[in-house]
Amino acid sequence: MMQDLLVSRGIIFCIVGTLLSGIVGLGGSTSFWHRASQALLVLSNVIGILAAVSFFSSGADTLPLFRLPFLFHTTFVLDKLSGLFFLMTTTVTSLVGLFALRYVEGYRESYNIRALDMTAALFIFGMQTVLLTTNIAAFMLCWEVMSVASFFLVMTDREEASMKAAFLYLTMTQLGASALIAGFFLLSHGSGLVDFATIASTARMLPASTIVFAFALLFFGFGSKAGLVPFHLWLPEAHPRAPSHISALMSGIMLKIALYGFLRVVLFLLPPLPAAAGLVVLTIGLLSGLFGVLHAVVDRDIKRTLAFSSIENLGLIFAMIGLGMYANSIGLDALAGIAVAAALFHSANHALFKSGLFLCAGAIVQETHTHRLEAMGGLAKAMPLLTGAFCLLALAASALPPFGTFFGEWTFLEAIIGALPKSPLPTKGILLITLSGVVLVSGLAIFAMVKLFAIASLGLPRSVAASHAKEPTVWINAPILIFVALSLLAGISSSYMLHALSPALIGFLPARASSMTVATGRLSPPALFLLLLIVLVLTVMVTRLCGNRLRRSSHVWDCGQPVDASMEYTATAFSSPIRFFFRFLLHHRKTVTSVPLVANNPWIAKHSMSVNADSVWFDTLYGWIASLLLWLSTQAKRLQNGIIQFYLLLIFLTLVLSLLVAV
Amino acid sequence: MSLSAFLIQGIVVLLLAPFSTGCARLFKARLQGRSGASPFLPYVRFATLLRKEMVIANTTSWVFHVTPIVVVSTSVFAATSLPLLSDAGAPGGLDNFIVFSAILALGSVFLVLGGLDPGTAFGGMGSSREMTLASLVEPAMITTFAAFAVVSGHSDISGMLNVGGAALLQYPSLIISLVALGLCTLAENARYPVDNPATHLELTMVHEAMILEYSGASLALLEYASSLRLTVFSLLIANIVVPLPLFSAALSLPSVSVTIAAAIVKLVVAMLLLAILESSIPKMRFYRMQEYLSVTYFIALAGLVFSLIPLS
Amino acid sequence: MSAISQTCTDLEDGARYERVYLLSLWQRLFFGARVTMPRSAFAVKPGDDGEAIGMEVRRVIRKLYKGRALQIRAVDGGSTNAEESELTMLGNAYYDIERFGLSFAASPRHADMLFVTGPVTRNLEAAVRSAYESAPHPCIVVAVGDGACTGGIWKDSYAVVGPVDAVIPVHIRIPGDPPTPTDILRGILHALRSTA
Repeated sequence: MMQDLLVSRGIIFCIVGTLLSGIVGLGGSTSFWHRASQALLVLSNVIGILAAVSFFSSGADTLPLFRLPFLFHTTFVLDKLSGLFFLMTTTVTSLVGLFALRYVEGYRESYNIRALDMTAALFIFGMQTVLLTTNIAAFMLCWEVMSVASFFLVMTDREEASMKAAFLYLTMTQLGASALIAGFFLLSHGSGLVDFATIASTARMLPASTIVFAFALLFFGFGSKAGLVPFHLWLPEAHPRAPSHISALMSGIMLKIALYGFLRVVLFLLPPLPAAAGLVVLTIGLLSGLFGVLHAVVDRDIKRTLAFSSIENLGLIFAMIGLGMYANSIGLDALAGIAVAAALFHSANHALFKSGLFLCAGAIVQETHTHRLEAMGGLAKAMPLLTGAFCLLALAASALPPFGTFFGEWTFLEAIIGALPKSPLPTKGILLITLSGVVLVSGLAIFAMVKLFAIASLGLPRSVAASHAKEPTVWINAPILIFVALSLLAGISSSYMLHALSPALIGFLPARASSMTVATGRLSPPALFLLLLIVLVLTVMVTRLCGNRLRRSSHVWDCGQPVDASMEYTATAFSSPIRFFFRFLLHHRKTVTSVPLVANNPWIAKHSMSVNADSVWFDTLYGWIASLLLWLSTQAKRLQNGIIQFYLLLIFLTLVLSLLVAV
Repeated sequence: MSLSAFLIQGIVVLLLAPFSTGCARLFKARLQGRSGASPFLPYVRFATLLRKEMVIANTTSWVFHVTPIVVVSTSVFAATSLPLLSDAGAPGGLDNFIVFSAILALGSVFLVLGGLDPGTAFGGMGSSREMTLASLVEPAMITTFAAFAVVSGHSDISGMLNVGGAALLQYPSLIISLVALGLCTLAENARYPVDNPATHLELTMVHEAMILEYSGASLALLEYASSLRLTVFSLLIANIVVPLPLFSAALSLPSVSVTIAAAIVKLVVAMLLLAILESSIPKMRFYRMQEYLSVTYFIALAGLVFSLIPLS
Repeated sequence: MSAISQTCTDLEDGARYERVYLLSLWQRLFFGARVTMPRSAFAVKPGDDGEAIGMEVRRVIRKLYKGRALQIRAVDGGSTNAEESELTMLGNAYYDIERFGLSFAASPRHADMLFVTGPVTRNLEAAVRSAYESAPHPCIVVAVGDGACTGGIWKDSYAVVGPVDAVIPVHIRIPGDPPTPTDILRGILHALRSTA
């Protein structure tokens, strides 16, 4: 009982402290107020971590925190699912706060630091509270705090492109939010003050068609926030425009909040859905994975690549959940449990490595003053510590051993292969498609991450700014290194964590502890880690013992023609095989222009080649929607003909219509 | 697998690795009508390289130094964990097929990074190509082994050997998967028709282009890693086709010596087949690799689909 | 055999041609006559000592595992391509340089031995020097051909820096314009074996 009290006090302190840090940040524009605000943010979130961890160790299923006397009398409750996401949020936030301590000061001229600290605190506050709310109105209120705060954060640098991206983001997020409200109202018979628990019991009485319609609306709402294809358009525009520590929060946490909302609805609110619902989620997930990873491979902007990789990872997570839903609806409980546990584990890992990668990108952009991968290069020599961390995080993002992501995907694939022989024929087909899709996406993800790391940090510097880059201070490096350590820790302890994640679903799926043991027991992550370490150490020792120690530094072998940075492979060149192999999916336009240098000789010309990456979705789907809207508004314009009698007629008709509806 | 069996297998395979590339080169020379060098030449070559000094380009960073060590470690990891000489499973389930392909991908990733680090155009070209191959072969590898996993009911490769050998005839679908595995092997080891291991023309290189900047002991490590990888793959396929004789966890001198002798025979036969294949087909243009890789992937998928269809 | 060659000429029947062609190829490769010159052809005849090699190269070769497995990098210092043409011959079935443990490398970083051909022209001086600097030491430099040894007919030309040893140290000289593959092999093997 004492522990419960401490946990709830801790969480309340965390939330209030987050809000306070924003107010402290408003205090003044000197670096003292900024540092004080970030320190308070870090402190309160560290307390939040401790509280969440002790909540998990206490073993309680739910923990009521407090009940607000105002604001719809909403009760704040922590349960296992929200506890998991709360833990992710506080972990990432505390490290991001540590990073922001010095990072933001580098942008004193371009950012309004007071406003940035305040909106960032509001944003984090919105994300923390949205996890704890238990009724629709409060949920949507916190959701909107998060969305609107992040809208302002996207245009922190007040540039034209950022404004455009922010408004695109606002449009999409408000469309999603209205779909969410509609979906919730369908379930609650139009009342906003209903508890989730009440919805869960009343939703069982609703007709199946209403349920399916509500599910579709909610899936659109959460899916558009999570950046699933084809509602992903805003994500690669908005995430890179925000300051890097905010991008880390948006990619690492905000997308997970959307995932949390979806899980909350599917696992706790809705009655069992038909198999087709799971298949839709699975298809959209796989599609997002494929498109996200292909664009991540071919993109040439360091932060956009990361944003596309987020689409890919969220796609994989939703594919896992979709398969889990499908498996559950046809009675493959073991597969469903493992798939959802793998999805949760993967999202925790994604929160760690993607936030870390965005922080790396932020540190690199601060040194090189550019987002373009083509203008970087040669950073590994100048900043070995940061690029070392960057390399390890990129490996974690490529789902290679010994990182947690590898074990998450491994568990999922293993579960599919285990379920393949026993399942009926149509299921076999679906499992096969999932298997082949997931392995293809994870293969290409390696390409994307290698491109990101290698083109940014290896070779020669391709711009003046990149050649002047220096190792950032320890305040910038430390949080990134902690992210690396946490990613490795997640890898070593993955079988324990996967085990712990399956009871997080209590209330929906029965805990499948025994089958989880079978799946993860065969491969021991510590053994893998140990063997890899032993082999590495042995190799180093043997080469030291046998090899000649003599080393000589020389110029790079250049065939007699000095090598310079213009001869290097760039991101465009590096990804050109994939662009060619998948040309039917990527739609790249290559333009070659030649300007004659000598007026009377067209053969002596300056050639320039550019590759344009345009989104298929923008051209087709969104193009159609835009032209449809334009057409509709032209039609509606006919009503505005300036004749007063016509307007009176319209008013009369409206009156008649409303009378008819009312009676 | 008891620890001693684990160690014996590791040491024997590590010692045999240069011999297998030597054999492949000798057989290819014979097929070209040349006498060829001794199959033991690679040992001398590695010893020579280890004695030489290392020339390091001044444009390189820490990645250049880490690469050979990680690449050779991943190959050693595969050589020790897989059931190459001993049929007992590795401790901790480390011979899992997804681990195997991920570890190989890890090695490829570092090779690619090492190729890009000096900042030369040749290195970048080789790296871009190798990364394309590695990232598209990995899905095919996993799909191939998934068929074996489905049929044998084991996801560790030592368990998959149960359906190897004569049992392959009971599961004809596995023959398709075996073909896919062969195609994957050629791509993973940079052999014909994916890459020409003996080329000196930079524009046609894949694997060689990435290691152009390495010298001395690092070069020895990288070349050793690629020959070790070839040995591991050859022994693995040989063990799936002929899963006998392998020594078990309970060691005895006759069983160990018979196994080692059989492994040498398997390697020689595998290298002969490889040499015949390489002498009979031309190298494919790199931009036709999309066809090769998609064929590999779909053969692997076909193997998996057929393995799901019950025979009776 | 005649039936096979009959079919071989029949180019119309593509698939059949290919199959039978492969068979006959394998047959020839496995059981056909060997064309490779015997090793004795490259042995140094008594009385003909070749060039006396210096102490330095003796030491180098002993250090390089007695010269049993060496990689060669061919560097063009401005030759007429006559020497390159002869060097290409070394790898064919007739001379088969590989059986002596020698092979050509793709990069000077891999090389234990540099074959420099031609009088070093002013344009290629940097290339020759760069290749030598790039190669890990100890590295044996072999000047192949008259141009590389002395400057040959281009000696003292305005476009030529001079023989190879004007640019980088040379250990072994193989004269001839161009030297035949037999000359080259004999020169190299003499240098390697006389210290081994």
